[in-house]
Formats: sequence, structure tokens, C-alpha cells
Amino acid sequence: VAQDATRRRVLAAATAALPLVIAGCKGVGALGTPPKPAADVAVVKDAILMETRTIARYDAVLAAMPDLAAELRPLLAQHHEHLARLRARLITPRAGPAASPSARPSASTAGPVPGTPAAALGYLRDTEDAAAAALLAHFGVATASLAQLLASISASEATHALILGPGRHR
Amino acid sequence: VSASASSAAVAALQAALAAENSAVYGYGIAGAHLTGADKAAAMRAWIAHQAARDTLTAMLTARGTQPAPAAAAYRLPFRVRSASQAISLAVFLEDRVAAVYLGLVAVPEPALRAFGAAGVRSAALRATTWRGSTLAFPGLA
Repeated sequence: VAQDATRRRVLAAATAALPLVIAGCKGVGALGTPPKPAADVAVVKDAILMETRTIARYDAVLAAMPDLAAELRPLLAQHHEHLARLRARLITPRAGPAASPSARPSASTAGPVPGTPAAALGYLRDTEDAAAAALLAHFGVATASLAQLLASISASEATHALILGPGRHR
Repeated sequence: VSASASSAAVAALQAALAAENSAVYGYGIAGAHLTGADKAAAMRAWIAHQAARDTLTAMLTARGTQPAPAAAAYRLPFRVRSASQAISLAVFLEDRVAAVYLGLVAVPEPALRAFGAAGVRSAALRATTWRGSTLAFPGLA
């Protein structure tokens, strides 16, 4: 009985503190990285895999066709921004500089690069379109600020596909 | 849907409507300073923003809310007297429209969230054609 009473008091204290926590919340920026529901973690991890794959494909195309650098480098840089922003939403204990196997997209995840520049641009355009759609596949279950980030990244990747697309050059 | 979530949805829809109304006005100004393919693109964008305005108006009415009326005129962010200024205005308008649709994405109603994402995407695509380059985070500051 005494234990029950203690637990009730703790619960009461926790409930009383809740409005203060809410009132003190100045948005995500002020808090740094707040704890996320499990659903968000899964959605962010999927999005990170998607970005990593896209970056690996850009790297593979650039390695095979350095002449495309002027066109592709600005888009690739934005994918690295996407990846950094997504990673910042995960609370991952860092074991050390060597222990980040997911950090390095390797050429092996990219698959073969098409043989001509036009085909390579089409390959990247399809990659962007697929990623833009996939980012929105599960964003309905995400918290508001994560859903906004995913919608923004998805829109960015749709614009990448536009830039890579045929008939874009006037 | 709780009352507070519903009022957040209405506020986000009204914000999107206000941005669409100012985009319709702004494209009217921008189009007057453009020629050829750019004028045609401005005309298409103007029509697209009118359609979006009508959709938002219907969505607000369906929620039993009075859509906020458009203003007779809007203050432009800068003076528009040349084609390049007109294109800068179009970029400005689309960036702002993308930002307000991102506000709809924050609403925890799946249909509104998807509608908001589509709005961010459309605005980002138009902004890209005007700007000639892309942004990493359209709609986010």
C-alpha cells in the first residue's frame, strides 16, 4: 500500500510537470535533438539508407564520367546536406571515428553505371524520382518536424530530377 | 480530430490561401515585365496559383470556415521594373508558397499532410525553373 501511494505521488508530480515542459518548449531548435518516437527512428533510418544509395550512385557516375562533374557536383552536395540533416535526427552513440560503417557509401551499393552520359543522367533522374516518392511513403506516421524535413527533401529531389531531365536546357 | 488540431489545420490552410492570393497578384506584375517563353511560363504559374487558391477556398468552406479574402493589392518585396526583377519576384513568391505548404505538412491529418507535400513540390519545381538551380531544403529556412 505504501509503495502504491509513492507511485501515485510520483505520477502526480510527473503530470504536474507536463504543462511546464510544454510551456518551456521553444521548438526543436532550442532543444537540440529531442528524443523521438520509435516510428520516427525507423523512418529516418530508411531515409538515410535512401540518401546513402543516391550518393553512391552519383559517386559511381562521377568516377566513370568526370565530364559530368559541373552538372552533378551541386546536386551531390545537396544530397550530402540531406544526409547530414537526417543523421542529426538520430541519437547514435559514437563508438569512435572508425565505427561508422553506414557513413561511407561504397561503390558496391551503386551497381553498374550506364555506358553513355545521357543514359547515366537518366539513371540518376530515375534514382531521384524514386527517392522523392519513397521519402513520402511513410511520412504520415512521422512527427510534424520530421514530416516537414522529409517533404522538403523529397521536393528537393524532385527538382534534381527536373534539372537532370531531358528538355530542361533552353 | 481534436478541436486544437482542427484549428491548426484551418490556420495552415488560411496561410496557404493568403500566400496563393499574393502569388496570383505577384505573377500578374511579373508577367507584365516578361516576354516569350518566360511570359508563357509566368502565365502557366499564374493559372496554377489560381487553381490552388480555388482548391484551398473549397477546403476551408468544407470545414465550415470563411476563407480570408484576397487583398486588392500586395506590397512587393522589391521594385519590379525589368525582366530579371520579374524573375526574382517569381522565385520569391514560389519560395514563400513552398514554406506555407510545409506548414500544412505539420498538420497531423494524413490527407492534409500529403496535400501540403504536393504543394511544396509544385512550388519548388517552379522555383527551380525560374532560378535555374535547386535548393537542398525548399520551404525550410
